[in-house]
Amino acid sequence: MRDVEELRARGLVEVRKDLVEVASLTEEGARYLSLKMPEERLGRLLEELEEFDLADVARIASEAGIELREDEVKVGLLHLARLRAVRVEGGRVRLVSRAALSKALAEAAAMREALASIKEGRVVDRSTLRALRRRRLVSIKRTARILVCPTGKACRLLSEGRLIGARVITALTPEVIVSGAWRGAFFKKYDLSIPPPRLYPGRKHPYLDFLDMVRELLVAMGFEEMKGPHVELELWNFDVLFQAQDHPARDIHDTFYLKYPERGRVDDDRLLERVKAVHEYGGGTGSRGWRYRWDPLRALRLVLRTQTTAVSVRTLYERGEGEYRCFALDRVFRPESLDAKHSMEFYQLEGIIVGRGVTFRHLLGFFNELARELGLGPVKVKPAYFPFTEPSVEGFIKHRKLGWMEVFPGGMFRPEVLWPLGVRECNVAAWGIGIDRIAMAVLDVDDIRLLFSQDLEFLRSWKSPLWVR
Amino acid sequence: MPVCEVLVSDLERLVGRRLDLGEVETLLPKLKCEVEYVENESVVYEATHDRPDLFSAEGLARALKGLLRVELGLREFRAKSSIEAYNEGPEYRPYLLLATVHGLRLDEEAVKQVMQLQEKLHMTYGRDRRKVSIGVYDLSRVKPPVRYIEADPDSVSFRPLDFEHELTLREILTRHPKGVQYGYLIASYDKYPLLVDSEGTVLSMPPIINSEETRVTEETRDVVIDVTATDLEAARGVLTVMATSLAERGEWIGVVRVSGKVAATAPSLEPQRTSLDLSLVEKLAGIKVSPSEAADYLREMRFEARIVGDGVLEVLVPAYRLDILHPVDLVEEVVMGYGYERVEAEALPPQHMGREHPLEKFSRRIREIVVGLGFQEVNNYMLTSREVLYTRMNAPEIPTVEVANPRQEAFTCLRTWLIPQLVQVLSRSKHAEYPQRIFECGDVVLVAGEGEVWEERRLALALSDTKVTLTDIHAAVDALMRIIGVEYELRERVHPSMIEGRTASILVGGVEAGFMGELHPQVILNWELEKPVAAAELSLTKLLEYLEEEA
Repeated sequence: MRDVEELRARGLVEVRKDLVEVASLTEEGARYLSLKMPEERLGRLLEELEEFDLADVARIASEAGIELREDEVKVGLLHLARLRAVRVEGGRVRLVSRAALSKALAEAAAMREALASIKEGRVVDRSTLRALRRRRLVSIKRTARILVCPTGKACRLLSEGRLIGARVITALTPEVIVSGAWRGAFFKKYDLSIPPPRLYPGRKHPYLDFLDMVRELLVAMGFEEMKGPHVELELWNFDVLFQAQDHPARDIHDTFYLKYPERGRVDDDRLLERVKAVHEYGGGTGSRGWRYRWDPLRALRLVLRTQTTAVSVRTLYERGEGEYRCFALDRVFRPESLDAKHSMEFYQLEGIIVGRGVTFRHLLGFFNELARELGLGPVKVKPAYFPFTEPSVEGFIKHRKLGWMEVFPGGMFRPEVLWPLGVRECNVAAWGIGIDRIAMAVLDVDDIRLLFSQDLEFLRSWKSPLWVR
Repeated sequence: MPVCEVLVSDLERLVGRRLDLGEVETLLPKLKCEVEYVENESVVYEATHDRPDLFSAEGLARALKGLLRVELGLREFRAKSSIEAYNEGPEYRPYLLLATVHGLRLDEEAVKQVMQLQEKLHMTYGRDRRKVSIGVYDLSRVKPPVRYIEADPDSVSFRPLDFEHELTLREILTRHPKGVQYGYLIASYDKYPLLVDSEGTVLSMPPIINSEETRVTEETRDVVIDVTATDLEAARGVLTVMATSLAERGEWIGVVRVSGKVAATAPSLEPQRTSLDLSLVEKLAGIKVSPSEAADYLREMRFEARIVGDGVLEVLVPAYRLDILHPVDLVEEVVMGYGYERVEAEALPPQHMGREHPLEKFSRRIREIVVGLGFQEVNNYMLTSREVLYTRMNAPEIPTVEVANPRQEAFTCLRTWLIPQLVQVLSRSKHAEYPQRIFECGDVVLVAGEGEVWEERRLALALSDTKVTLTDIHAAVDALMRIIGVEYELRERVHPSMIEGRTASILVGGVEAGFMGELHPQVILNWELEKPVAAAELSLTKLLEYLEEEA
């Protein structure tokens, strides 16, 4: 078809598409054609015997060497009776009119002729075709027939000798190359207007690809990647972060608790003592504390971590004082019902900058640098509140479609957080970014569920951003 | 965070000068309040949880006066002792504190603000009334002393707010909307908490509902505020915020002595005395602020501040500022006074190399190879269901991390293997062209008894087409292993999700690092699929451990 289409485009042929009905014999039709119509076969018996018992037909037929199935006896009698050639009474079949019988047989023979014509692909008249279809001897299929006629232009060019035959090569083959058949042959011109077959290559998930890019960025900014468990002790998820044990974030509406297993273990009793002291009266920090009775058992309960900040404090506990910076890019969980804007599972980009000389200004510096690298434009900051940082800040960026977006929350870890972890001299700038919202802005996705889409067609068609700025 | 609504005209009245909307919109963020919208004359804003004194117009106006320099430094409250009260309340809600506020001038908006403050305090500090609950009453309707008692649910009745007739205490729990909502806090006890006056008039049934009898109206001039609680500290804080806020519309605060089971005098209005060494501001915030500047910022924020030594301020913290626990909290106040927008960002060049986590680095290399093998990466939630992990896979259940308070049936536990969700993707992508070749690199969580939880990074591949066999997935696994240079062995194994005799363990260094197989036809049908599926799952954690040992 590609070739025909090309000739048509050049005005050398006219193409006409017709829908045609093509009849073909059914299994039954083919049988009747070879054995004759049932009424013909039955008619032969009647011509000889004139009258017989219906119950005896099978026997009589087989004696006469005629193949006649039970259903064919019925069909045959039906047609002979219709033309009043026979009558069936009290289980006996009787010939009533020879003239009518020969008329019926002539009709049947005509039918059979038509079947033969159809088998040979010849056209039969519509009424016969209708009768054959009614008897389910033929079936009709509609197909397109394409008529290709040379145009006047083609004929003229041919007569002028300007159309000449030549060998045309559509695709090179090893034989063609080696045999030299390509010499003097024409290479068929590739039609640039026809779309190519569609390929579905292996590819990274665009969202995970984005996260890889973020990871690269953080590494380039001197951050070491940290990891922590998704199933976390309340201790690390809340208590170490100086969130009182009845803090609303610890409510069942805001945290996934576990039915199994319910509790974990902590081997460092001294850590528990220090956390208790800080919560109850401020410990050695100079803080007033939350002034309530802290329950160590509560701290040992397991949750699905609600914030990767748990990973930051675990890192501080392990590494203590020093000059370092770490990040985590991982999943957290919150009891949300999944819809376009909310998800029970999402990614956070979390980080800490640790050092004696680290200040709030460096945190702002980090936000600016990250926003610049992600192409998010300038960052505006406002005071904010988080239970574990002071001063706390919220960084906003202006999205071309969504307006001002809160994207960079952070602050300086409170002494009540650092002291139990053994960090007494250093400052820690900390931040925890809901990277999904930034990803949605960058990837131009307006439904958070699409980041976890299970529709392969969508994943195949999703454009990958190239980070060209 | 609580969302509050105030009228600009009310704020103007409290601040004592005209305000324009633009001004209010720029000042609110300086108090960490985020303006949600402005409609006609009212401003709707989200206050932060740590500043209950900003949950209504009174405290907000007090703070604005500072920022507008209408009034600086500490707000002094006139206080003298007023009524007496007795605490004979129930063990399960043991604390009672009271205060009175006198000389109020209220109108419809003022009453609305008092109710808003009470409601927001209930939601936040009160933990939805579990921990603390508040009642406000018209003092002229009350004959002191006030008594907090335990009452029989059936023999006492009163007319609850908004009701035409009296109900017994027990009836209130089933017939009054507030009773229905909060009844669970007391319903299981023999006796219910009750606040009555000397003549037996009921003020309220804490923490459920007040009486209509003592309702606060626009005519009310003096009020009693009660706070009942399970935590004395929280009760003190809440009462101070209530009393000081109401006092912004009145003349003086009455201090109430409660005797009985738990004796206490409230409210506490005495400022907290603390000192701020300005070197802390520089160390933490990185900005240099002179002592007089810092003192001025603090006074704008309604603290009293006095220079007492070389770069040291003595600061008086108002009693209603429940958020000031440590000098770092004052640092933030100074920075807020200085202006966040004025703090210059500073780049801090790294002193060390950055580094990807080894597991992420390894995962990324593996993903790149698998992409090269023609597989499309997918990304599934770790939260899923037993239905997906086991039932549909015809697989027996293994210990699984299960959520106690799931939101949706589809997300009740953490995945223990990756293949099921890959099959789920295939099942949801029947309209997509075949062949389908997908993979995921993700974490699974495994449990070996209480307290023994560990995570593994896994890689899973799945292939589906009209004709797919183990050979196809074997070829992919083999290519991957050759590229990363890991020798592996295969051993026949049985897996209930897979066809017997067409399933194999993948052994690395003699240890099972994964398996592969052809999905059992029944499992394919369970997922309403029709085409064959071959899949493999490998532990990248184990592979990495093996490679690290080899190295």
